[in-house]
Amino acid sequence: MKGVLNSIRARLLISGVLFTVVAVVLAALTIRPTLDQFVRRNVDASLESQISVLARAVKSDGSLDQDRIQSVGPFIRRGAGWAWVVKGPAGVLRSQTVAAVEPRQGEGPPPWPRPERDRDRDRMPQREMRPDKPPTAPLKESRRWRSRSGWNESFYFRTLTISTSRGPVTVTAGAPRYIRDRMRDEGLRPLLLSLGVLGVGLLAAMIGQLELGLRPLRKLGASLAAVRAGEQRRIDDKQPRELEPVVAELNALLDHNDQALAKARSHVSNLAHGLKTPLATLAVRLAEPGRDPDGSLASLIAQIDGAIGHHLGRARAASPGAPGRPALPVRSRLDDLVAALSRIHAAAGVRAELDVADDLYVACDPQDFDEMTGNLLDNAWKFAERTVRVTGRRQGARVVLDIDDDGPGLTDEAAAAALVPGSRLDERGAGHGFGLSIALELAELHDGALTLGRAPIGGLRVTLALPARSAEP
Amino acid sequence: MRILLVEDDAPLAESIAQALREEQFAVDIAADGETGAHLGSTETYAAAVLDLGLPKQDGLSVLRGWRAQNRPLPVLILTARYGWTEKVEGFKAGADDYLTKPFRVEELVMRLRALVRRSAGHHGPRIVCGRLTFDAQMGGFEFDGMPLKLTSFEWRVLSCLILRKEVVVERMDILEQAYEGDAGGDSNSLEVIVGRLRRKIGHEMIETVRGRGYRLTAGAA
Repeated sequence: MKGVLNSIRARLLISGVLFTVVAVVLAALTIRPTLDQFVRRNVDASLESQISVLARAVKSDGSLDQDRIQSVGPFIRRGAGWAWVVKGPAGVLRSQTVAAVEPRQGEGPPPWPRPERDRDRDRMPQREMRPDKPPTAPLKESRRWRSRSGWNESFYFRTLTISTSRGPVTVTAGAPRYIRDRMRDEGLRPLLLSLGVLGVGLLAAMIGQLELGLRPLRKLGASLAAVRAGEQRRIDDKQPRELEPVVAELNALLDHNDQALAKARSHVSNLAHGLKTPLATLAVRLAEPGRDPDGSLASLIAQIDGAIGHHLGRARAASPGAPGRPALPVRSRLDDLVAALSRIHAAAGVRAELDVADDLYVACDPQDFDEMTGNLLDNAWKFAERTVRVTGRRQGARVVLDIDDDGPGLTDEAAAAALVPGSRLDERGAGHGFGLSIALELAELHDGALTLGRAPIGGLRVTLALPARSAEP
Repeated sequence: MRILLVEDDAPLAESIAQALREEQFAVDIAADGETGAHLGSTETYAAAVLDLGLPKQDGLSVLRGWRAQNRPLPVLILTARYGWTEKVEGFKAGADDYLTKPFRVEELVMRLRALVRRSAGHHGPRIVCGRLTFDAQMGGFEFDGMPLKLTSFEWRVLSCLILRKEVVVERMDILEQAYEGDAGGDSNSLEVIVGRLRRKIGHEMIETVRGRGYRLTAGAA
C-alpha cells in the first residue's frame, strides 16, 4: 500500500474512487427515505380524496347516504388491496376489498370495530353499523393494521372523524404497505441505475483528468532530464501556473549551480594562474648560473607546472558547462590552431597539411575542442620530422579526425601508457606530457572517442571522433 | 638588441630582465599595460615580451593597439593562461610567439632571438657577413671561425648591424637598440664602441655613412 501511495496518480485515483463510491452510496441511501416520503404523500393524497368522497355521504345525523356510497363505486380495482371503512352510530360500512381489519396486539384501542369474519366480500357496500367509542384525532396518521383476510401484510390508512348529532363517524381508507413499496421501488430502480452510470462516468472522467493533469509533470521530468543531458540549459518557463513556482525554483537552482561551478572554476583557474607567475620567477631565478647545477630543481618546477595544468584541465573536463552545444566549424577552428602552432614551432620547420572539408561541424564546446585538438597537434608538431597531417571526414553520426605525424611513433605499450592520466611521454618537454590524457577525457566528456594508431606517413596517428552536427542555419 | 618587457609582477620582471641582460639584451620594463602600450608605440625595440593579465590595459588590447598603428614590433606573449583558445586569440591579435609561465629562460631567449632574426628577414639561424658569422639562435659571433669576445654594448651594436647587413643603419636606431630606457648614450659613445668593434673585426667592415649612420659590409673582398 505504501508503494502504491508513493504515486500521485495512485493517490488521486484511489481517493477519487473512494470519494465517488461513498458519495454514490450516500446518495442512494438518502434517495430511499426521500422517495418513501414522496410515495407516502402520493398515497396520502389518494386516501384523502377517497375519504373526502366518503365523508360527503355521511349525513348530519350520522347515518350514511346509501346512494352516494353506491356512486363512489369500488375504491380501487378489486384485489388491489386498497380498502375503506366507515364507522358511525348507524353501524359499519366497508369496501368490498377488506373483510375486516383489526389492531395489532398491544396497540391502543383503534377507532375501529371488530370486523365480522363471515361477511360476504363481494357485496358492496355493506351495512353493519354498531355503536362504538368515538376516535379522538380529527385526521390521524398511520397505524399498523393487519388484514383479516390473511394477506398478512401491514396496512397504511388515514382516518377522518366527523361529529354528528348522534355521535362521531369515522371514515378510514387504507392501502397495503406493499403497494407503497412497489411504487417506491419502481422509482428507485431507474434512480439507482442513473446513480451507477454517474459513478462510472465520474471515474472515467477522473482517469482522463489524471492523464491530462499529470501530463505537465511528465513534461517537467523530461525537461529536467534534457537539462542533465546538456541538451538545454534551463527548464522551459511556459508551465501551468501551479508548476511555475517549482520551475522557477528549479531554474534558480540551476543558475545557482552554474554560478557556483563558474566560481569554483574561476577559483581553480585563479589559483593556477596565481601560482604560475611566482613559479615562473622561481624558474628564471633557478636558471641563474650555479643555482641548479643538475637541473633537478627545474624538473620539480616542471612537475608542479604539470600538476597545475593537469588539474586545471580536469576541473574543466569534469564539468560539461556547455549545454546546447553549438555546431562548431571544424575547418576554421583547425586553421586558427595550425596558424598558432606554426608560429609557436616556427623553428621546427614542420609543414602542416590539412585535408578537412569546410562543411564539417561537431557538437562540442569551442574551448574544449581547442584544448583537444591543440594538445594533439602540439604533440604531433613536437614529434614530427617534417609533416603534420590532419584528415577529417564524416563517418555516420560522427566526425573523425586523424592527426598524423611522421615522427618516431609509439610502441603499443607506450601508446597504452600514454592515455593514463598524468603520464608523460616526453620527459624533456616542460609539462606537456598531459596533452593526450586530457584530450581523451575531454573527448569522452563530449561523447567522443580517442584512439592511437600508426600513421601512414610513419609516426603516430591519433584518431579523434566527435559527435557530428549539421551546420546551423 | 633592446627588448620591451611588459610584466606587472615586479619580481618576475626583474628576474627576466636580469636573465636577458646576461644574454646581452637591453631591457626596458613596463609594469602596466598603458606604459607598455606607450613605450611600444614610441620607442624602437627589437622585440616585446608581453604579459596578458596587466593592470590599466590588458595585454591583448595593447597588442591590438600596436598592430592598429602598424608597428612591426615582434611580440612574444608570456602568460599564465595556457589554454589553446587563448593562444589562438593571442595570435589573432597579432602575436608572433607565445610562451606560458613557468618557462625556461633559455627557451625565452631562443624564442626572442628567433623572433628578432625572422623579423629582420633572415630564415636561417646563421647570418654571414664576410669573415663574420652571427649565430642568431645561440647569440654568438665568430670571426674567421673563432668565437669573438664582445662586451654587451659591442654585442648589441654589432648584432644590430649584422641583422641589417649591407644596409645603412641610422645612428638613432643603433643607440635605441643598445641603451636601456633613458640611459641613452650619445653619438660619441657610439663612435667609441664602433671604434672598438673595428679593431676586432677590421676597419673596413663597418662603414661610416656621414650624417646617417653605419653599414656592416662584407666589402668588395
